[in-house]
Amino acid sequence: MAVNPKTLYDIPLFGDMDADALGKISSLMNYMKVQEGEVLTQKGQGAHTFYVVLSGNFLISFNEDRAFTLHEKGQIMGWSSVVTPFRYTGTAVALTRGEVLCLSAEAFRELLTGDARISDLLMKKIYAIFSERMPYFSGTKRAADS
Amino acid sequence: MLGLKAISAQNGWEYALLGVSIVFTGLVLLALVLSQLHKLLRLWENRSSIGQLVKERWKSESAVTDQETTKSEPSSDLIESRRQYQMLVERIGEPFALPRLLRLAEKSGLHRPHATINELIQADIILPDDNGYYTWKP
Amino acid sequence: MESLLLDFLSNTGYMMADYRNVIMMIIGSVFIYLGIAKHYEPLLLVPIGFGILMGNVPVFKGLGLSIYEDNSVLHYLYMGVKSGVYPPLIFMGIGALTDFSTMLARPVLMLLGAAAQMGVFITFLGALALGFPLNEAASIGIIGGADGPTAIFLTAKLAPHLIGPIAVAAYSYMALVPVIQPPIMKLLTTRKERLIRMEDLREVSKQEKMIFPIVGFLLCCMLAPAALPLLGMLFAGNLLKEATVTERLAEAARRPILDSVTILLGITVGASTQADVFLTPRSVGIFVLGACSFGVATATGVLFAKFMNLFLRHKINPLIGAAGVSAVPDSARVVQIVGQAEDPTNFLLMHAMAPNISGVIGSAIAAGVLWSFMM
Repeated sequence: MAVNPKTLYDIPLFGDMDADALGKISSLMNYMKVQEGEVLTQKGQGAHTFYVVLSGNFLISFNEDRAFTLHEKGQIMGWSSVVTPFRYTGTAVALTRGEVLCLSAEAFRELLTGDARISDLLMKKIYAIFSERMPYFSGTKRAADS
Repeated sequence: MLGLKAISAQNGWEYALLGVSIVFTGLVLLALVLSQLHKLLRLWENRSSIGQLVKERWKSESAVTDQETTKSEPSSDLIESRRQYQMLVERIGEPFALPRLLRLAEKSGLHRPHATINELIQADIILPDDNGYYTWKP
Repeated sequence: MESLLLDFLSNTGYMMADYRNVIMMIIGSVFIYLGIAKHYEPLLLVPIGFGILMGNVPVFKGLGLSIYEDNSVLHYLYMGVKSGVYPPLIFMGIGALTDFSTMLARPVLMLLGAAAQMGVFITFLGALALGFPLNEAASIGIIGGADGPTAIFLTAKLAPHLIGPIAVAAYSYMALVPVIQPPIMKLLTTRKERLIRMEDLREVSKQEKMIFPIVGFLLCCMLAPAALPLLGMLFAGNLLKEATVTERLAEAARRPILDSVTILLGITVGASTQADVFLTPRSVGIFVLGACSFGVATATGVLFAKFMNLFLRHKINPLIGAAGVSAVPDSARVVQIVGQAEDPTNFLLMHAMAPNISGVIGSAIAAGVLWSFMM
């Protein structure tokens, strides 16, 4: 089912976008309901889908079983679909039933290459999230805890 | 004929120098024009009396969808879950890896381990230590 | 009966093949492997690889089977290469696919694309020094533009007998950009330079994006009219994209037309790469020069960025100079990866797209200039 652009408006990742850009992105997305225990991404496998949480709770685990959980609307999973080498760095599993927006990696990458403005706005935020989560999959201790 | 003589014999230096100059000139000219283009357009737009369309009507509606972030379906009683999972945590030690707790819970045949772990996290009984591992609140 | 069978057997490829056909088939198979298993430019390497297989099956002359025989199917399809029709169609698709706003947001980055084209002319000199005649040296030099369609277009005009090795060299090195560029980039930059954060890009209006293809076309083609087929189609495709009223045409340009032409070009270029043309000392020279041209183009782009930093208030990360090599978007991605290795939060991709795209324009101008010199 096509995603209503209004769904994206209160998601922080898309907060800076105009209606045109939201329309472009939402046209590529689909709703997906997830069941408790469902695996969305598998560490090491090709990153084929980018997810945005609409509802539900999720656990993402990395090397050495480091993990964190997502509980809020707008949080993302599967950012490796737009970051080389395009392989998931973590395994995402649904802790409860919920709903996510999914965007195919190929369509997302094509959108990013074809629209510099959207790419600039989105990739900055995705990279900020990537750097926050990096200690989990790289195993480096956070400076505050050393 | 090879080497520098071959280049000179066929006017290679002239061709290369001229070629590089033309490519640079072309792109420099284009860059100069483009750097002023947006200013020219702005000048033109200020002459116009037609205002910009506001895209704010997207913002006027409060799009709050029902969130099920905290209300999961009824799982095991929280006190009983707490007791069961505390035993598992004592077995694996702290700080513990949440995926490991989940695997252990599944192996132990506990009812709906994913939802239960989520309830324990939401109730601040399982707490993150900011290193990717978790501790149990006594 | 026996003589019929013997006749038949003697006309099979097995009997007519020699070691050179086998070598070429191995090369074609390697290309297919690199494309499918390693994901190196699969849209190019797979058709080219299979074309090499097709072109190196020994056939009986006179039956209209070989690509070089006038009445063969492959020959008719190859006409689009020899006549220079396919590359401009590909450029139209590229124009319809590409967003030029990063280049419009900071036009000074276009100079990095210009600097990288020095690789074309330095290689041109190198080819002359090795004894290649002018027309062949120009065709070899354009490999440094890292633009397959441009290389094929110019070679079809100047040295059609070299289309096979030059196209294979150009596309092979384009596929190997992630291998060739990073060591050169790291060698020529310091860690401090690699950590430079680029200034945020300004927003580019729709009007700018619509006016650009017209202005760009007029400026570039009035200066170098020989670049008209390539740049005209590039800017035409881009105008179709930006003038949203022609979205259907833009969609046709960037999907069915681009994909169809890419298939036909890849297969026929591959099929034209036959052993007697390809397995020669000249082809080895072309490959060596091609590798050098990529390296030189990367180096000149990076060094020019460092030179520009002497004068710029807001410094640019010199890594993006490597993206002046117009292998879009691979060299921009390489810049992102190398920059990210130093600082994972430094997002260089979109900044690198500016020289990447201007490199496409620069290589087309270089091709037009070289063609006009040789006319």
